[in-house]
Amino acid sequence: MVDDMKEIKFLLAIWKTNLLSAMEYRASFLTQTIGMMVNDFIYFAIWIIFFERFKDVRGWGVNDMYVTYGVLASAFGLVSLLFGNAFTLSDIIAKGRLDYYLSLPRPVLLHTIASRSIASGMGDFVYGFISYGLSGYFTWDGLARYVLAMLLAAVVFASFLILTQSLAFWFGMMSNFSALALNAMLTFGIYPITLFDQYAKLILFTLIPAALVGAVPAAFIRAFSWQTLAQLLAGAIGFLTLSILLFRVGLRRYESGSAIQVEV
Amino acid sequence: MKPFSKYWSIFQITLLNSLAYPGELVGRSLMIIPFMWIFYQLWKITFSAAGVEVMSGLTLSNTLWYLMLAETIELGRPPLARTMSENVKDGSIAYILNKPYDFLLYQFSATMGETIFRAMLNAVFGGLTVWWLVGAPQHPEGFLIAIPAILGAWILHFCINAMIGLSAFVVEDVSAFTWIYQKLAFIFGGMLIPLDFYPQWLQTLAKFLPFSSAIYGPARLFVTPSVELFVNVMSLQLAWILALTFVLVIVYRRGLTQLTVNGG
Repeated sequence: MVDDMKEIKFLLAIWKTNLLSAMEYRASFLTQTIGMMVNDFIYFAIWIIFFERFKDVRGWGVNDMYVTYGVLASAFGLVSLLFGNAFTLSDIIAKGRLDYYLSLPRPVLLHTIASRSIASGMGDFVYGFISYGLSGYFTWDGLARYVLAMLLAAVVFASFLILTQSLAFWFGMMSNFSALALNAMLTFGIYPITLFDQYAKLILFTLIPAALVGAVPAAFIRAFSWQTLAQLLAGAIGFLTLSILLFRVGLRRYESGSAIQVEV
Repeated sequence: MKPFSKYWSIFQITLLNSLAYPGELVGRSLMIIPFMWIFYQLWKITFSAAGVEVMSGLTLSNTLWYLMLAETIELGRPPLARTMSENVKDGSIAYILNKPYDFLLYQFSATMGETIFRAMLNAVFGGLTVWWLVGAPQHPEGFLIAIPAILGAWILHFCINAMIGLSAFVVEDVSAFTWIYQKLAFIFGGMLIPLDFYPQWLQTLAKFLPFSSAIYGPARLFVTPSVELFVNVMSLQLAWILALTFVLVIVYRRGLTQLTVNGG
């Protein structure tokens, strides 16, 4: 328990440092935050145009899209802000840059992924809430469910990134595969789940768990159900456990790059 | 012709360089496969729900082949603006600017060299996927007719991306501009939904803008080729290329006076 508190304090200290560092370049931080919100809005406008003309896709309408897009954007933004290195973990592994983290008396995975913050994530994070607010499903208890679902979706997201990027322990540079996996996750997460048949849905709950960051959190936000909550909890715990285990197994194979690394 | 031989050499060198890492090239191009598959699911259901074979002059097969070419154009182009921004941030811009060649023509030659194989592989993977899903294109000859428009599209993309890249001379980080440009191209270029499915007022506006000349024009020419459409697409594209090249040269000259070179 004491150890857990120590790690939480450590994590908070890293996030505080990241925030202070971002605030040193306030103009850049603001440009990226606002730029990402505008980017999200323009992207979503395509769905508004689509549903204006075609009304719904097997019962899935624009309001459902607002919630799905919102929770996915917020979860993605939160991971970018708090665990920015999760997006480049394979590069860090392949280039031998884990040396720095291994030499310090802190959990390697946690320290590595939390050591960078992507400023544009703030834009995604905030935009998600706005999107939910505009969905027509907004209620105060819905907002509480939104926060819970978004946190669990963020855990799945971060775990998925760790899983795919940790393959670099075995296969070296994986930046293309990681980008492909991330794009697949985002694309499948945004599209209406009613598009997919049973086999595709099985993939979206397991191999590319896009349903756990898009459709399932959206269903939970719209109306509480024990089933969707259980799916979200099982997904978050299962993927997190799997990702930590895979990283630990991979870490045993890690070879230092012997390069001089400077961490700023 | 002699002054242009160096740019031809730059083009050739970049073209060969892009083949140096075939795994990287193929890996990146595989991204088009899930995109085309999900587009197929979306449009199959949409056509079926509408209960029609042809919508705004496009069949399901036309729509899929249209989207394949639109994606090929978009995914084929290298991240020029980001590269220019990186050059400004790390100071390497100084080594590019002081060489005995025109900066813009150098960037153009290098960008086109990088584009060719990226686009070809996207077209191969995207084409095979769409062929498997909906069969051969209705007008295979449309691809040859669309080639001049595809080249024009890349020139347009170059002009806009170079302008965004040049803004790095003043603001250094251009990521927000590149996201917004990409999403404007999505929406006004008809990259996810053919412009023909838009409301009339938005179609009229979008078809006039350069984004449609860079994506919609070539893609529509490919699926429904005709002399009239060819003349329309090419003349609008030419007008935009002339206008944007003029603006680009002015922006470049002004940008040079604002540039601060970092490092050494």
